[in-house]
Amino acid sequence: MSPKKKSAATLFSEYAVVIIFLVITVAAISPSGLSLKYIIQELITRLGRNSFLVIALLLPIYSGMGLNFAMSLGAMAGQIGLIFAVDWSVAGWQGLVFALLIGLPIAVFLGWICGKVMNKAKGREMVTGYILAFFINGIYQFFVLYMMGSVIPMRNASIILSRGYGIRNTLNLESVRQSLDTIFMMKLGGFDVPVVTLIIIALLCVFIVWFKKTKLGQDMRAVGQDMAVAEAAGIPVEKTRIVAIIISTVLACAGQLIFLQNMGNLATYNAHDQTSFFAAAAILVGGASVTHASIPNVFIGVILLHAMFIVSPLAGQNLFGSAMVGEYFRQFIGYGVIALSLVLYAWKSRKAIFNSRSDLRGGAAAKGKDEGGQA
Amino acid sequence: MKAISFRNRSFVVRSILVLVYIAVIVIMLMTGKRHTILIDNKDSEDGSILAIDGMSIQIDNQEAWEYYPGDRDKAVVQGQRHKVRVEILADGKIVETAFRVPLNQDMVLLEVPKLLAGVEPYLRPFTVLQEQASAPAVDTPQSIQFGGDAVVPPDGSPDAPPAPVLVQ
Repeated sequence: MSPKKKSAATLFSEYAVVIIFLVITVAAISPSGLSLKYIIQELITRLGRNSFLVIALLLPIYSGMGLNFAMSLGAMAGQIGLIFAVDWSVAGWQGLVFALLIGLPIAVFLGWICGKVMNKAKGREMVTGYILAFFINGIYQFFVLYMMGSVIPMRNASIILSRGYGIRNTLNLESVRQSLDTIFMMKLGGFDVPVVTLIIIALLCVFIVWFKKTKLGQDMRAVGQDMAVAEAAGIPVEKTRIVAIIISTVLACAGQLIFLQNMGNLATYNAHDQTSFFAAAAILVGGASVTHASIPNVFIGVILLHAMFIVSPLAGQNLFGSAMVGEYFRQFIGYGVIALSLVLYAWKSRKAIFNSRSDLRGGAAAKGKDEGGQA
Repeated sequence: MKAISFRNRSFVVRSILVLVYIAVIVIMLMTGKRHTILIDNKDSEDGSILAIDGMSIQIDNQEAWEYYPGDRDKAVVQGQRHKVRVEILADGKIVETAFRVPLNQDMVLLEVPKLLAGVEPYLRPFTVLQEQASAPAVDTPQSIQFGGDAVVPPDGSPDAPPAPVLVQ
């Protein structure tokens, strides 16, 4: 195999997910019949809506904890804050800040629990986080469905179920709808750009870049590379991992608020269900892996994934006469991309182990041969 | 001794931060809370003050609306302090005044004839029996699926199966 061919194969294996996604999305644009202007406008909106949530995944990846599937804990915290904001009729951006301030301590607490649990399950953080999210979801449902309106007094009768307690399945977030996006909406080249939302996302990116250079950020990277070496170097490994998860959960809390204010309604009992899956799929589509991720991966992923979300239902309808085909396709791709990334990661890890063993054997054989020759 | 004072200082700083945190919540609540003002142009209950025959009312910087006897409308405002500008259409007389809506009151009734006559209180709490007026609970299968926020065109085929919920 020539070096050129090998590098092309390596390139494909490294960016397989991105390349496959790009090809599928580009191929689906024409059958969808959507104009490029419409797609770009939708992408700008969705970039503002989802990027914050996806960035929340970065720190756990830096810390070697993989994809934080427990970020839906932060989303639940944000939703609880938002329910109180709606209950108290706090509107506009003040409503969002109010919801954030209510949700923040809950997110910190849940993040701390999550970090503690993950420290007991080192090496299996992703599946642990995934199951933990189910467990906390049960507590969330209990809190929102039974405690609110019975133990916790609620002022706004219109958000309570007709039985007198519990929150309705769907909340109208009209009071905070797009309150962040519309603070300053700029018309740029015929597109509506939510400037404040994008500035907040940019500031978060700056924070991530700065944080990586701090002592704690360096500790996280050291822990992510090798926990044993980091421990030997005097880094408090478990504490560092807990901090990474807490920050991720808090960012997920804020990200869910940004997401929901853009959507304008809240599916009380399942809005958080797919938060982590979507964010994980987006960052993987962007070229990240379970162990390596960067800010460009976030934006490439959000753009690619959403471009497919926009075009696939219509492409499915136009090609097969049913939008549901596009829906199935979207789900298939969404889950498939996570599976593909995890399989590629496992395959690369095993290959790396195999290669290192081969090197050791080769080295030992060569050494033995040398020693034999000398004798 | 030094350690104790440092601990005290740390405690004080943390306490201040907690207080600032709570203060920001309260500020957001006070400045962001929505109130409904019912603007009323009716005769008083005892008939001593009559409704105004044609006036224009503007709350804060919202659009001004014309009111005739028996009219009642509402304005949704944010925050506690507001101003009202009343212009009598007949003689062009303008009355401007400011009022404060109590924080825990969602709805108040602004009796404009009383306001113009200088009779207090022209603003009184108004409570309605809140019914379950929010939208009926609907199944939102999309929201629990991948890309649930995507635009899905109406499907023409009636026999199309529902999208599977892969993760429950």
